[in-house]
Amino acid sequence: MLRVILIRLAVFVPTLLATSLVLFITVNVVPGSAARAALGIDATPQAIARFEAEQGLDRPLHVQYLDWLWGALRGDFGTSFQNHLPVGRELLARLPVTLELAALAFIIANLIALPFGALAAYHHQRRVDTGMSFLATVMGSVPNFWLATLLILILSLKLRVLPAGGYVALREDPARNLSLMLMPAISLGVVSSALLFRIMRAKMIEVLSSDYIRTALAKGAATGVVLWRHALRNGLITFLTVGAVEFGWLFGGVVIIEDIFLLPGVGQLVLVGIINRDYPVLLASALTVTVVVLTANMLVDLLAALLDPRHVHVRALR
Amino acid sequence: MSIHAAAGPRSPGERLAQIPWKRYRLLVIGGALVGIVVLAAAFADVISPSSPYEIDVTNRLQPPSRTHWLGTDEFGRDVLSRAVHAARISVKVAVVAVSVGLTGGTLIGITAGYFGGVVDLVLMRSMELLFSFPAILLAIVLMAVLGTSVLNAMVAIGIIFIPGFSRLARAATQEVLRQQYIEAAHTIGMSDRRILLGEILPNVITPLLVEAMAAFAYAVLLESSLSFLGLGAQPPEPSWGNMLNTGRGFMDQAPWLGVVPGLAMFIAVLGFNLLGDGLRDFLDPHLRDGA
Amino acid sequence: MSTAESDRRSGQRAVLEIDHLTVELAGGRRAARVVDDVSLAVFPREIVGLIGESGSGKTMTALSILRLLPRAASIAGGEIRLGGASLTSMSEAELRRIRGRRIAMIPQNPMSAMNPVLRIGAQVGEPYVLHRGVRWTDAVAQAVRLLRDVHLPLPEERAVEYPHQFSGGMQQRAMTAMAIALEPQLLIADEPTTALDVTIQAQVLRLLLEIRDRHGTATLLITHDLGVIAEMCDWVYVMYAGRILEQGSVERIFARPSHPYTQALMRATPTVDATDADLASIPGSIPSPFELPAGCRFADRCPSRFERCEREPLLLDVEASHSARCWLLEDGRE
Repeated sequence: MLRVILIRLAVFVPTLLATSLVLFITVNVVPGSAARAALGIDATPQAIARFEAEQGLDRPLHVQYLDWLWGALRGDFGTSFQNHLPVGRELLARLPVTLELAALAFIIANLIALPFGALAAYHHQRRVDTGMSFLATVMGSVPNFWLATLLILILSLKLRVLPAGGYVALREDPARNLSLMLMPAISLGVVSSALLFRIMRAKMIEVLSSDYIRTALAKGAATGVVLWRHALRNGLITFLTVGAVEFGWLFGGVVIIEDIFLLPGVGQLVLVGIINRDYPVLLASALTVTVVVLTANMLVDLLAALLDPRHVHVRALR
Repeated sequence: MSIHAAAGPRSPGERLAQIPWKRYRLLVIGGALVGIVVLAAAFADVISPSSPYEIDVTNRLQPPSRTHWLGTDEFGRDVLSRAVHAARISVKVAVVAVSVGLTGGTLIGITAGYFGGVVDLVLMRSMELLFSFPAILLAIVLMAVLGTSVLNAMVAIGIIFIPGFSRLARAATQEVLRQQYIEAAHTIGMSDRRILLGEILPNVITPLLVEAMAAFAYAVLLESSLSFLGLGAQPPEPSWGNMLNTGRGFMDQAPWLGVVPGLAMFIAVLGFNLLGDGLRDFLDPHLRDGA
Repeated sequence: MSTAESDRRSGQRAVLEIDHLTVELAGGRRAARVVDDVSLAVFPREIVGLIGESGSGKTMTALSILRLLPRAASIAGGEIRLGGASLTSMSEAELRRIRGRRIAMIPQNPMSAMNPVLRIGAQVGEPYVLHRGVRWTDAVAQAVRLLRDVHLPLPEERAVEYPHQFSGGMQQRAMTAMAIALEPQLLIADEPTTALDVTIQAQVLRLLLEIRDRHGTATLLITHDLGVIAEMCDWVYVMYAGRILEQGSVERIFARPSHPYTQALMRATPTVDATDADLASIPGSIPSPFELPAGCRFADRCPSRFERCEREPLLLDVEASHSARCWLLEDGRE
């Protein structure tokens, strides 16, 4: 079992590093852009040169990267161009918000996708299945920020049931926190649930047509028993390996949703970084979101591997 | 054979009724929705009752009426005209982005699949890395770096699509390589390039086409997201994204401003998704049970 | 029942009776008959063989007994009885009480037939939980005993392992243990020796004989291997394209194979002293159930066909305890 965990970590760490490298290069690829962004378009070449010297932006790219990386590993993500405050601290303060949002969205998405996916697979090729699959396609085509807007329109403005934006820490006021998080989580979760539904349905169809299901029936098991003891267990495990892929879409939407609902999370920080042309902030927050995604993927994959006695999950080239 | 063997030519109406429409339901609905969007984009100027830029402050925030079917926005501009013109941006970006992704992805995928070994490893690992980024995030970062414009949006989204297509192209290439006629062609002395183009490419087209439909849907979504965040088409140029963004601010006075652009996005995305599903069912029903 | 059948163990009640069973497969405009008017019987303590090539309908016949046909297939006619009680008209709930308890099946491909994420002990012991309401710990204890009965060494250790840790032969034994858990009256063994090497095959077959001796179980043994029939079976039905072409006691059939198909099968089976020249494969292939010929189904590939074969032959007696579906038997044309 330890071996399974270690193998995954061994693959995970280089992936994180590579990710940080790609983001770093992307942000810094256009020479002078950072300086121009901070100082304005009309900055004189001398001002740019001075800025770059100060910030160490005139050094070769790989030196910059290693320097940045070394700092990042210690929690030092540089200082914001805008307000000259350490980025790391800001990130830390905002991280719990994003994590809570992501977790709630994830729970909602799976709560919908798993049972309905299993149900659709069970009624495969019958109208229930066709209907549900069509519904899933429809739900999955809704832009999550439109759903957010509609939810605000109906629940906040018309019915006045939920507040439209803002944030209160969970520790301070759990009830209010959840009432503020509900619509954002639904906006993110419902749309993602559509794809998760498809995956679960596909896996369950595979499982239900397996020989061992027939064996269980031949032993005299009732449908419920067969589904629960034999089908779902296998279906869930195979689902976990694939379902992880969806985190990218789920978490990526965090940026827009936090913007709409005025949630002070890391996603919002990305936008702040863009609007203020604050490259250290942009880089650090984008990286954080990506790392959260990758970590979630890795953990789910690990969970699947630990649950599956065959330990044969190879995540090469999914 | 059927005992009702045709006793002579049947009328076109009869023959039309014979087509198993039920089987192609998705294809038809999807095609219709996409058709609406594409037509709106192509004939925007003809269809729009007025110019999308025409400001009429006296008539701002008017609800849908006979003169303005979808109402007016905060500057008194006709929402319907704006929405129809915005379709243009969405369709343009989608087409270019998917083309970029398709071309790049196919080239990389076929190369990786055909040459195998180190080439394959390096290419596919890079693709996998790119793929692990949340798409929207990558798009946002790219736009921040490249600068906000519609052209850059096309490029950014196109780049995001490359890994997905490359994976498909590679898998299809490997499948085709298993066929023996490639061996035969190689023995005769056909150059690698001819084999790639002549034998492998045609077989790769089908799954790529289906994936392309999903990519179109995603492209519309991404472009809308970017312009929603102010990173795409800039005002006064109408795009569904920026229309929804400004519309948000007037939700209590003019809810239709928030509903209409989102609805348009939804129709476009749904249309492409259904078209993709329909195509897949049409070309290879066995894929239906896959994810 | 033909006279051949009634010769057999007269006075005894059959454990399993299949009467004119027809199974149809949906697909395209017409349904195809994968099992066409098949009748067979299995008596207590008997091992009955059902032999045929793949595609002959043997497995479909077996699945029909327990009503576990795939969704596309359905029983279109006939009746199946267990000890006189009709299985085909039973409710699903009643049938569930029979499955695993009075009729048990050892399916093909033991590896894919076991749940990969459940321990062997749990799977083998499951019948106890399902039918006797036993607790899981007791069920697993029973499973250990069963694994010992099927001669699996160190059964306590094996019981906590997973299917993928077992070899093919061990998996076959585990499936057998699962099947005999509640001492069923009828055991259906579907290709128990395919994909196993010869030494393991012998062990598995010996195990089936032991079960027969110890519990008096009636066994329906499905195979495409004549050698297995010769070794194990008392009675055999030869199946082809959904029909029974020849049936009788094993001695009679082997002594005097009467249907050209059976004769061809015997020629095609390698024996120790056969030379290459002796081995003949049967030209042509088994017809698809969607494209069945009007007359005798074997006619296309039959060296002895003549005009009469354009009509479907009836089951005609060859001798006592032996009949075949071939016009060559009419008027002693043989």
